[in-house]
Amino acid sequence: MTLLTCVSSEITKLRTLPLAVLAAVGTVLIGAVITAALAANAVDQGAPAGATAVLQAVPFAQVGIILLGILPAAHEHAGSQFRTTLVAVPNRGLLATGKTLAALIALTVTAALTVGVSLATAAIAHHLSSVPLPARGAEPWALAGAAVYLSLIGMLAHVVALLVRHLVPALVTMLALVLVVPPLLAGVTEHARWLPDRAGSLLYLPGADTALTPGTGALVLVGWVLVIGAAAVAAFITRDA
Amino acid sequence: MSLWNPFGSELRKTATLPAAWAGVLVALLGSAAITALNALTVRGAVAAGTPERLADTSPFETGFAAMPIIGVVGAVVIGVVVIGSEYTADRAESGGARQIATTLAATPHRPTLFIAKALIVLVFVAMTALVTIPGNIALARAIIGGAGIETVTPAEAVTRSLSTALYWALMGLIALSITTLTRSGVIPLVVLIANSSIVSFSLLLTNLTPLAHWLPDMAGRKLFGFPSEYVVQGGLDPVPGAMVMGGWALVLMVVAGIVFTRRDA
Repeated sequence: MTLLTCVSSEITKLRTLPLAVLAAVGTVLIGAVITAALAANAVDQGAPAGATAVLQAVPFAQVGIILLGILPAAHEHAGSQFRTTLVAVPNRGLLATGKTLAALIALTVTAALTVGVSLATAAIAHHLSSVPLPARGAEPWALAGAAVYLSLIGMLAHVVALLVRHLVPALVTMLALVLVVPPLLAGVTEHARWLPDRAGSLLYLPGADTALTPGTGALVLVGWVLVIGAAAVAAFITRDA
Repeated sequence: MSLWNPFGSELRKTATLPAAWAGVLVALLGSAAITALNALTVRGAVAAGTPERLADTSPFETGFAAMPIIGVVGAVVIGVVVIGSEYTADRAESGGARQIATTLAATPHRPTLFIAKALIVLVFVAMTALVTIPGNIALARAIIGGAGIETVTPAEAVTRSLSTALYWALMGLIALSITTLTRSGVIPLVVLIANSSIVSFSLLLTNLTPLAHWLPDMAGRKLFGFPSEYVVQGGLDPVPGAMVMGGWALVLMVVAGIVFTRRDA
Protein backbone atom coordinates (compact mmCIF):
# COMPACT_ATOMS: atom_id res chain seq x y z
CA MET A 1 0.00 0.00 0.00
CA THR A 2 1.54 3.26 -1.06
CA LEU A 3 0.67 6.75 0.11
CA LEU A 4 -0.94 7.51 -3.24
CA THR A 5 -3.45 4.65 -3.06
CA CYS A 6 -4.15 5.52 0.56
CA VAL A 7 -4.89 9.16 -0.32
CA SER A 8 -7.07 8.17 -3.27
CA SER A 9 -9.08 5.72 -1.14
CA GLU A 10 -9.59 8.40 1.52
CA ILE A 11 -10.75 10.84 -1.16
CA THR A 12 -13.19 8.24 -2.48
CA LYS A 13 -14.59 7.89 1.03
CA LEU A 14 -15.07 11.65 1.32
CA ARG A 15 -16.57 11.93 -2.17
CA THR A 16 -19.15 9.26 -1.36
CA LEU A 17 -20.03 10.55 2.11
CA PRO A 18 -23.26 12.56 1.69
CA LEU A 19 -22.59 14.82 4.68
CA ALA A 20 -19.09 15.70 3.39
CA VAL A 21 -20.45 16.66 -0.03
CA LEU A 22 -23.22 18.62 1.68
CA ALA A 23 -20.66 20.45 3.86
CA ALA A 24 -18.49 21.34 0.85
CA VAL A 25 -21.42 22.55 -1.26
CA GLY A 26 -22.86 24.30 1.79
CA THR A 27 -19.61 26.17 2.39
CA VAL A 28 -19.53 27.47 -1.17
CA LEU A 29 -23.22 28.42 -1.01
CA ILE A 30 -22.89 30.16 2.37
CA GLY A 31 -19.96 32.17 1.02
CA ALA A 32 -21.83 33.14 -2.14
CA VAL A 33 -25.17 33.95 -0.48
CA ILE A 34 -23.63 36.00 2.34
CA THR A 35 -21.40 37.83 -0.16
CA ALA A 36 -24.45 38.58 -2.30
CA ALA A 37 -26.33 39.89 0.76
CA LEU A 38 -23.42 42.07 1.88
CA ALA A 39 -22.79 43.31 -1.66
CA ALA A 40 -26.46 44.20 -2.09
CA ASN A 41 -26.33 46.06 1.19
CA ALA A 42 -23.16 47.92 0.14
CA VAL A 43 -24.63 48.86 -3.25
CA ASP A 44 -27.75 50.17 -1.48
CA GLN A 45 -25.55 52.54 0.48
CA GLY A 46 -23.68 53.65 -2.66
CA ALA A 47 -20.46 51.83 -1.80
CA PRO A 48 -18.70 49.61 -4.32
CA ALA A 49 -19.49 45.89 -3.90
CA GLY A 50 -16.19 44.17 -4.38
CA ALA A 51 -13.69 42.04 -2.57
CA THR A 52 -14.69 43.62 0.76
CA ALA A 53 -17.99 41.73 0.74
CA VAL A 54 -16.13 38.48 -0.02
CA LEU A 55 -13.76 39.05 2.90
CA GLN A 56 -16.63 39.88 5.25
CA ALA A 57 -18.29 36.59 4.31
CA VAL A 58 -15.25 34.51 5.34
CA PRO A 59 -16.21 34.24 9.07
CA PHE A 60 -19.56 32.76 7.99
CA ALA A 61 -18.08 30.38 5.40
CA GLN A 62 -15.65 29.03 8.00
CA VAL A 63 -18.59 27.39 9.80
CA GLY A 64 -19.08 25.11 6.79
CA ILE A 65 -15.41 24.40 6.27
CA ILE A 66 -15.01 23.45 9.94
CA LEU A 67 -17.69 20.78 9.46
CA LEU A 68 -15.93 19.57 6.31
CA GLY A 69 -12.62 19.41 8.18
CA ILE A 70 -14.11 17.34 11.00
CA LEU A 71 -15.80 14.70 8.83
CA PRO A 72 -12.83 12.71 7.40
CA ALA A 73 -11.72 11.70 10.90
CA ALA A 74 -15.07 11.67 12.71
CA HIS A 75 -17.16 9.63 10.27
CA GLU A 76 -14.87 6.62 10.75
CA HIS A 77 -15.96 6.44 14.38
CA ALA A 78 -19.70 6.87 13.74
CA GLY A 79 -19.93 3.08 13.31
CA SER A 80 -17.35 0.34 13.04
CA GLN A 81 -15.82 1.62 9.81
CA PHE A 82 -12.55 2.50 11.51
CA ARG A 83 -11.70 -1.16 12.05
CA THR A 84 -12.41 -1.96 8.41
CA THR A 85 -10.10 0.90 7.49
CA LEU A 86 -7.35 -0.45 9.74
CA VAL A 87 -7.68 -3.92 8.19
CA ALA A 88 -7.16 -2.34 4.77
CA VAL A 89 -4.33 0.00 5.91
CA PRO A 90 -2.65 -1.53 8.98
CA ASN A 91 0.16 1.04 8.94
CA ARG A 92 -1.40 3.76 11.10
CA GLY A 93 1.24 6.37 10.38
CA LEU A 94 0.57 5.96 6.66
CA LEU A 95 -3.18 6.07 7.31
CA ALA A 96 -2.94 9.30 9.33
CA THR A 97 -0.80 10.88 6.61
CA GLY A 98 -3.12 9.75 3.83
CA LYS A 99 -6.21 10.95 5.69
CA THR A 100 -4.64 14.31 6.42
CA LEU A 101 -3.55 14.80 2.79
CA ALA A 102 -7.04 13.84 1.57
CA ALA A 103 -8.57 16.32 4.02
CA LEU A 104 -6.10 18.99 2.88
CA ILE A 105 -7.04 18.43 -0.77
CA ALA A 106 -10.79 18.54 -0.06
CA LEU A 107 -10.42 21.64 2.12
CA THR A 108 -8.19 23.53 -0.32
CA VAL A 109 -10.49 22.84 -3.26
CA THR A 110 -13.55 23.90 -1.23
CA ALA A 111 -11.82 27.03 0.11
CA ALA A 112 -10.65 28.09 -3.36
CA LEU A 113 -14.11 27.45 -4.83
CA THR A 114 -15.76 29.38 -1.99
CA VAL A 115 -13.60 32.46 -2.52
CA GLY A 116 -13.86 32.17 -6.32
CA VAL A 117 -17.65 31.79 -6.41
CA SER A 118 -18.08 34.54 -3.80
CA LEU A 119 -15.89 36.87 -5.86
CA ALA A 120 -17.94 36.10 -8.96
CA THR A 121 -21.13 36.86 -6.99
CA ALA A 122 -19.70 40.16 -5.80
CA ALA A 123 -18.61 41.01 -9.36
CA ILE A 124 -22.12 40.32 -10.67
CA ALA A 125 -23.64 42.44 -7.90
CA HIS A 126 -21.21 45.21 -8.77
CA HIS A 127 -21.96 44.91 -12.46
CA LEU A 128 -25.68 45.31 -11.78
CA SER A 129 -25.05 48.53 -9.85
CA SER A 130 -23.88 51.87 -11.20
CA VAL A 131 -21.29 52.48 -8.49
CA PRO A 132 -17.86 53.32 -9.96
CA LEU A 133 -15.13 50.72 -9.67
CA PRO A 134 -12.79 51.41 -6.75
CA ALA A 135 -9.05 51.86 -7.18
CA ARG A 136 -7.32 48.51 -6.87
CA GLY A 137 -5.62 47.92 -3.55
CA ALA A 138 -3.99 44.92 -1.93
CA GLU A 139 -7.18 42.89 -2.45
CA PRO A 140 -5.83 40.00 -4.57
CA TRP A 141 -3.49 39.08 -1.71
CA ALA A 142 -6.27 39.35 0.84
CA LEU A 143 -8.48 37.10 -1.30
CA ALA A 144 -5.74 34.49 -1.62
CA GLY A 145 -5.23 34.88 2.12
CA ALA A 146 -8.93 34.19 2.67
CA ALA A 147 -8.64 30.89 0.78
CA VAL A 148 -5.49 29.95 2.74
CA TYR A 149 -7.21 30.91 6.01
CA LEU A 150 -10.25 28.75 5.23
CA SER A 151 -8.01 25.77 4.38
CA LEU A 152 -5.97 26.18 7.55
CA ILE A 153 -8.98 26.55 9.86
CA GLY A 154 -10.37 23.41 8.19
CA MET A 155 -7.09 21.62 8.92
CA LEU A 156 -7.36 22.71 12.56
CA ALA A 157 -10.84 21.16 12.62
CA HIS A 158 -9.37 18.00 11.05
CA VAL A 159 -6.66 17.55 13.69
CA VAL A 160 -9.09 18.30 16.52
CA ALA A 161 -11.44 15.63 15.15
CA LEU A 162 -8.51 13.21 14.76
CA LEU A 163 -7.79 13.76 18.46
CA VAL A 164 -11.31 13.59 19.93
CA ARG A 165 -12.63 11.11 17.30
CA HIS A 166 -16.32 11.92 17.55
CA LEU A 167 -18.30 14.44 15.56
CA VAL A 168 -20.33 16.29 18.17
CA PRO A 169 -17.51 16.97 20.69
CA ALA A 170 -15.17 18.00 17.86
CA LEU A 171 -17.82 20.30 16.43
CA VAL A 172 -18.59 21.95 19.78
CA THR A 173 -14.86 22.36 20.55
CA MET A 174 -14.09 23.94 17.19
CA LEU A 175 -17.12 26.25 17.12
CA ALA A 176 -16.37 27.39 20.67
CA LEU A 177 -12.67 27.89 19.93
CA VAL A 178 -13.28 29.82 16.72
CA LEU A 179 -16.60 31.62 17.19
CA VAL A 180 -17.49 31.90 20.86
CA VAL A 181 -14.30 32.38 22.87
CA PRO A 182 -12.32 34.93 20.75
CA PRO A 183 -14.79 37.84 20.98
CA LEU A 184 -15.20 37.29 24.73
CA LEU A 185 -11.45 37.11 25.33
CA ALA A 186 -10.65 40.01 23.00
CA GLY A 187 -12.62 42.32 25.28
CA VAL A 188 -10.51 41.25 28.24
CA THR A 189 -6.95 40.70 27.12
CA GLU A 190 -4.78 41.60 24.13
CA HIS A 191 -3.39 38.06 24.19
CA ALA A 192 -6.57 36.98 22.38
CA ARG A 193 -4.54 37.71 19.24
CA TRP A 194 -2.80 34.35 19.65
CA LEU A 195 -6.05 32.41 19.23
CA PRO A 196 -6.17 30.49 15.94
CA ASP A 197 -8.90 32.48 14.21
CA ARG A 198 -7.65 35.89 15.41
CA ALA A 199 -4.09 35.18 14.26
CA GLY A 200 -5.23 33.56 11.02
CA SER A 201 -7.72 36.30 10.17
CA LEU A 202 -4.79 38.62 9.49
CA LEU A 203 -4.40 36.64 6.26
CA TYR A 204 -7.53 38.28 4.88
CA LEU A 205 -7.66 41.37 7.12
CA PRO A 206 -4.02 42.54 6.99
CA GLY A 207 -3.24 45.33 9.43
CA ALA A 208 -5.99 44.43 11.90
CA ASP A 209 -3.43 43.72 14.61
CA THR A 210 -0.46 45.76 15.80
CA ALA A 211 1.85 42.92 16.86
CA LEU A 212 1.27 40.28 14.17
CA THR A 213 1.58 40.55 10.40
CA PRO A 214 -0.29 38.29 7.92
CA GLY A 215 2.83 36.12 7.70
CA THR A 216 3.37 35.68 11.43
CA GLY A 217 -0.39 35.37 11.97
CA ALA A 218 -0.49 32.49 9.50
CA LEU A 219 2.49 30.91 11.28
CA VAL A 220 0.64 31.09 14.60
CA LEU A 221 -2.35 29.31 13.04
CA VAL A 222 -0.05 26.71 11.45
CA GLY A 223 1.56 26.28 14.87
CA TRP A 224 -1.84 25.47 16.41
CA VAL A 225 -2.45 22.90 13.65
CA LEU A 226 0.99 21.32 14.10
CA VAL A 227 0.86 21.09 17.91
CA ILE A 228 -2.66 19.63 18.04
CA GLY A 229 -1.84 17.52 14.97
CA ALA A 230 1.24 16.01 16.64
CA ALA A 231 -0.81 15.05 19.69
CA ALA A 232 -3.58 13.70 17.45
CA VAL A 233 -1.23 11.55 15.34
CA ALA A 234 0.49 10.20 18.45
CA ALA A 235 -2.90 9.23 19.90
CA PHE A 236 -4.04 7.88 16.52
CA ILE A 237 -1.04 5.53 16.32
CA THR A 238 -1.00 4.30 19.92
CA ARG A 239 -4.68 4.18 20.87
CA ASP A 240 -6.95 1.12 20.67
CA ALA A 241 -9.33 1.35 17.74
CA MET B 1 -48.37 4.92 31.25
CA SER B 2 -48.32 8.18 33.13
CA LEU B 3 -45.93 11.01 32.34
CA TRP B 4 -44.10 10.33 35.58
CA ASN B 5 -42.45 7.04 34.52
CA PRO B 6 -41.05 8.23 31.18
CA PHE B 7 -39.88 11.40 32.93
CA GLY B 8 -37.98 9.34 35.49
CA SER B 9 -36.42 7.06 32.90
CA GLU B 10 -35.46 9.98 30.66
CA LEU B 11 -33.99 11.81 33.64
CA ARG B 12 -31.80 8.84 34.49
CA LYS B 13 -30.85 8.36 30.84
CA THR B 14 -29.78 11.99 30.46
CA ALA B 15 -28.04 12.10 33.82
CA THR B 16 -25.84 9.19 32.71
CA LEU B 17 -25.10 10.76 29.32
CA PRO B 18 -21.63 12.36 29.39
CA ALA B 19 -22.54 14.75 26.55
CA ALA B 20 -25.36 16.30 28.59
CA TRP B 21 -22.94 17.04 31.42
CA ALA B 22 -20.52 18.44 28.84
CA GLY B 23 -23.24 20.97 27.99
CA VAL B 24 -23.66 21.85 31.66
CA LEU B 25 -19.90 22.16 32.13
CA VAL B 26 -19.49 24.31 29.01
CA ALA B 27 -21.93 26.81 30.49
CA LEU B 28 -20.51 26.61 33.99
CA LEU B 29 -16.73 26.48 33.52
CA GLY B 30 -16.57 28.47 30.29
CA SER B 31 -18.46 31.38 31.78
CA ALA B 32 -16.52 31.16 35.06
CA ALA B 33 -13.23 31.51 33.15
CA ILE B 34 -14.49 34.55 31.25
CA THR B 35 -15.92 36.08 34.43
CA ALA B 36 -12.65 35.59 36.31
CA LEU B 37 -10.68 37.28 33.50
CA ASN B 38 -13.22 40.11 33.28
CA ALA B 39 -13.26 40.66 37.03
CA LEU B 40 -9.45 40.70 37.25
CA THR B 41 -9.41 43.30 34.46
CA VAL B 42 -11.92 45.46 36.33
CA ARG B 43 -9.98 45.16 39.59
CA GLY B 44 -6.71 45.95 37.81
CA ALA B 45 -8.20 48.99 36.10
CA VAL B 46 -9.61 50.34 39.37
CA ALA B 47 -6.32 49.70 41.17
CA ALA B 48 -4.42 51.48 38.38
CA GLY B 49 -6.85 54.41 38.60
CA THR B 50 -8.13 54.01 35.03
CA PRO B 51 -11.69 52.67 35.41
CA GLU B 52 -12.86 55.08 32.69
CA ARG B 53 -11.42 52.83 29.97
CA LEU B 54 -14.04 50.22 30.92
CA ALA B 55 -17.76 50.48 30.20
CA ASP B 56 -18.49 50.13 33.92
CA THR B 57 -17.09 48.49 37.04
CA SER B 58 -20.33 46.85 38.15
CA PRO B 59 -19.76 43.35 39.60
CA PHE B 60 -23.14 42.25 38.22
CA GLU B 61 -22.34 43.33 34.65
CA THR B 62 -18.90 41.73 34.94
CA GLY B 63 -20.32 38.39 36.05
CA PHE B 64 -23.13 38.60 33.53
CA ALA B 65 -21.03 39.30 30.42
CA ALA B 66 -20.52 35.65 29.41
CA MET B 67 -24.17 34.61 29.94
CA PRO B 68 -25.64 35.52 26.54
CA ILE B 69 -23.05 33.52 24.59
CA ILE B 70 -21.52 30.72 26.66
CA GLY B 71 -24.73 29.92 28.51
CA VAL B 72 -26.67 29.68 25.27
CA VAL B 73 -24.07 27.26 23.87
CA GLY B 74 -24.58 25.07 26.95
CA ALA B 75 -28.38 25.15 26.55
CA VAL B 76 -28.09 24.30 22.84
CA VAL B 77 -25.79 21.35 23.57
CA ILE B 78 -28.24 20.02 26.19
CA GLY B 79 -31.22 20.42 23.85
CA VAL B 80 -29.40 18.69 21.00
CA VAL B 81 -27.97 15.69 22.87
CA VAL B 82 -31.17 14.80 24.77
CA ILE B 83 -32.77 13.70 21.50
CA GLY B 84 -29.70 13.46 19.21
CA SER B 85 -28.15 10.70 21.34
CA GLU B 86 -31.18 8.49 20.58
CA TYR B 87 -30.31 8.45 16.89
CA THR B 88 -26.58 7.70 17.21
CA ALA B 89 -25.73 4.22 15.92
CA ASP B 90 -24.52 1.84 18.58
CA ARG B 91 -21.32 -0.22 18.37
CA ALA B 92 -21.34 -3.01 15.78
CA GLU B 93 -20.78 -5.66 18.50
CA SER B 94 -24.08 -4.73 20.10
CA GLY B 95 -26.00 -4.76 16.84
CA GLY B 96 -25.29 -1.27 15.52
CA ALA B 97 -28.85 -0.26 16.33
CA ARG B 98 -30.05 3.11 17.54
CA GLN B 99 -31.26 3.68 21.06
CA ILE B 100 -34.53 5.18 19.82
CA ALA B 101 -35.82 1.67 18.98
CA THR B 102 -35.33 0.54 22.60
CA THR B 103 -36.77 3.81 23.92
CA LEU B 104 -39.92 3.45 21.81
CA ALA B 105 -40.33 -0.17 22.84
CA ALA B 106 -40.25 0.96 26.48
CA THR B 107 -42.46 4.04 25.95
CA PRO B 108 -44.66 3.40 22.92
CA HIS B 109 -46.80 6.50 23.46
CA ARG B 110 -44.75 9.00 21.51
CA PRO B 111 -46.33 12.31 22.59
CA THR B 112 -45.68 11.36 26.22
CA LEU B 113 -42.09 10.54 25.39
CA PHE B 114 -41.60 13.83 23.55
CA ILE B 115 -43.09 15.84 26.41
CA ALA B 116 -40.86 13.96 28.87
CA LYS B 117 -37.82 14.84 26.74
CA ALA B 118 -38.84 18.51 26.69
CA LEU B 119 -39.24 18.49 30.48
CA ILE B 120 -35.77 16.97 30.82
CA VAL B 121 -34.30 19.77 28.71
CA LEU B 122 -36.06 22.31 30.93
CA VAL B 123 -34.81 20.60 34.10
CA PHE B 124 -31.21 20.49 32.91
CA VAL B 125 -31.22 24.06 31.60
CA ALA B 126 -32.87 25.36 34.77
CA MET B 127 -30.34 23.49 36.91
CA THR B 128 -27.49 24.94 34.84
CA ALA B 129 -28.91 28.44 35.08
CA LEU B 130 -29.47 28.11 38.81
CA VAL B 131 -25.80 27.33 39.39
CA THR B 132 -24.19 29.37 36.60
CA ILE B 133 -25.87 32.78 36.84
CA PRO B 134 -25.68 33.39 40.63
CA GLY B 135 -22.32 31.60 40.68
CA ASN B 136 -20.76 33.96 38.16
CA ILE B 137 -22.14 37.04 39.84
CA ALA B 138 -20.80 35.81 43.17
CA LEU B 139 -17.42 35.07 41.56
CA ALA B 140 -17.25 38.57 40.06
CA ARG B 141 -18.24 40.09 43.42
CA ALA B 142 -15.61 38.06 45.25
CA ILE B 143 -12.83 39.14 42.89
CA ILE B 144 -13.80 42.79 42.48
CA GLY B 145 -14.81 43.25 46.11
CA GLY B 146 -15.50 46.85 47.04
CA ALA B 147 -13.51 48.26 44.12
CA GLY B 148 -16.38 48.40 41.64
CA ILE B 149 -19.44 50.63 41.61
CA GLU B 150 -22.66 48.62 41.32
CA THR B 151 -24.98 50.13 38.71
CA VAL B 152 -27.63 47.40 38.75
CA THR B 153 -30.29 47.31 41.47
CA PRO B 154 -31.12 43.95 43.12
CA ALA B 155 -34.58 43.96 41.51
CA GLU B 156 -33.05 44.45 38.04
CA ALA B 157 -30.49 41.76 38.78
CA VAL B 158 -33.19 39.23 39.65
CA THR B 159 -35.30 40.14 36.60
CA ARG B 160 -32.33 39.89 34.24
CA SER B 161 -31.18 36.57 35.72
CA LEU B 162 -34.66 35.04 35.40
CA SER B 163 -35.06 36.44 31.86
CA THR B 164 -31.71 34.92 30.91
CA ALA B 165 -32.78 31.55 32.27
CA LEU B 166 -35.96 31.87 30.18
CA TYR B 167 -33.90 32.62 27.05
CA TRP B 168 -31.70 29.57 27.69
CA ALA B 169 -34.73 27.35 28.28
CA LEU B 170 -36.44 28.50 25.08
CA MET B 171 -33.18 28.03 23.14
CA GLY B 172 -32.85 24.51 24.59
CA LEU B 173 -36.41 23.68 23.48
CA ILE B 174 -35.75 25.11 20.00
CA ALA B 175 -32.57 22.99 19.78
CA LEU B 176 -34.57 19.92 20.88
CA SER B 177 -37.25 20.56 18.25
CA ILE B 178 -34.83 21.14 15.38
CA THR B 179 -32.79 18.06 16.31
CA THR B 180 -35.97 15.98 16.45
CA LEU B 181 -36.72 17.10 12.90
CA THR B 182 -33.19 16.49 11.55
CA ARG B 183 -32.52 13.35 13.65
CA SER B 184 -28.86 14.42 13.82
CA GLY B 185 -27.17 16.99 16.00
CA VAL B 186 -24.86 18.39 13.35
CA ILE B 187 -26.99 21.00 11.61
CA PRO B 188 -28.69 22.37 14.79
CA LEU B 189 -25.34 22.62 16.58
CA VAL B 190 -23.70 24.49 13.71
CA VAL B 191 -26.60 26.87 13.11
CA LEU B 192 -27.51 27.60 16.73
CA ILE B 193 -23.95 27.96 18.09
CA ALA B 194 -22.86 30.13 15.17
CA ASN B 195 -25.99 32.24 15.63
CA SER B 196 -25.32 32.82 19.30
CA SER B 197 -21.82 34.11 18.50
CA ILE B 198 -20.65 37.26 16.73
CA VAL B 199 -20.87 35.39 13.42
CA SER B 200 -24.66 35.46 13.58
CA PHE B 201 -26.70 34.83 10.45
CA SER B 202 -29.73 36.46 12.09
CA LEU B 203 -27.75 39.59 12.97
CA LEU B 204 -26.55 39.78 9.36
CA LEU B 205 -30.13 39.43 8.11
CA THR B 206 -31.25 42.40 10.21
CA ASN B 207 -29.05 44.57 7.98
CA LEU B 208 -31.12 43.47 4.99
CA THR B 209 -34.64 43.34 6.39
CA PRO B 210 -36.15 44.50 9.70
CA LEU B 211 -38.24 41.31 9.64
CA ALA B 212 -35.14 39.44 10.86
CA HIS B 213 -35.71 41.05 14.28
CA TRP B 214 -38.59 38.56 14.59
CA LEU B 215 -36.30 35.51 14.35
CA PRO B 216 -36.19 33.66 17.69
CA ASP B 217 -32.67 34.57 18.79
CA MET B 218 -33.00 38.21 17.70
CA ALA B 219 -36.48 38.57 19.25
CA GLY B 220 -35.34 37.33 22.64
CA ARG B 221 -32.01 39.12 22.89
CA LYS B 222 -33.37 42.06 24.93
CA LEU B 223 -34.12 39.52 27.69
CA PHE B 224 -30.48 39.83 28.75
CA GLY B 225 -31.26 43.43 29.67
CA PHE B 226 -27.96 45.00 28.71
CA PRO B 227 -27.94 48.83 28.77
CA SER B 228 -29.23 49.95 25.38
CA GLU B 229 -26.03 51.80 24.43
CA TYR B 230 -24.09 48.49 24.24
CA VAL B 231 -26.45 46.46 22.05
CA VAL B 232 -27.56 46.55 18.43
CA GLN B 233 -30.36 49.09 18.11
CA GLY B 234 -33.87 48.26 16.99
CA GLY B 235 -35.83 45.09 17.42
CA LEU B 236 -38.44 44.01 19.90
CA ASP B 237 -38.69 45.03 23.55
CA PRO B 238 -38.10 42.35 26.22
CA VAL B 239 -41.71 41.30 26.81
CA PRO B 240 -42.97 41.18 23.21
CA GLY B 241 -39.60 39.68 22.25
CA ALA B 242 -39.98 36.92 24.82
CA MET B 243 -43.48 36.24 23.53
CA VAL B 244 -42.26 36.01 19.93
CA MET B 245 -39.39 33.72 20.97
CA GLY B 246 -41.78 31.63 23.05
CA GLY B 247 -44.10 31.44 20.05
CA TRP B 248 -41.25 30.12 17.90
CA ALA B 249 -40.39 27.54 20.53
CA LEU B 250 -44.04 26.48 20.84
CA VAL B 251 -44.60 26.19 17.07
CA LEU B 252 -41.35 24.27 16.59
CA MET B 253 -42.24 21.97 19.52
CA VAL B 254 -45.69 21.25 18.05
CA VAL B 255 -44.29 20.59 14.57
CA ALA B 256 -41.49 18.42 15.94
CA GLY B 257 -43.95 16.61 18.23
CA ILE B 258 -46.29 15.80 15.34
CA VAL B 259 -43.43 14.67 13.11
CA PHE B 260 -41.95 12.60 15.95
CA THR B 261 -45.35 10.94 16.51
CA ARG B 262 -46.14 10.17 12.90
CA ARG B 263 -42.77 9.39 11.35
CA ASP B 264 -41.05 6.01 11.29
CA ALA B 265 -38.33 5.99 13.92
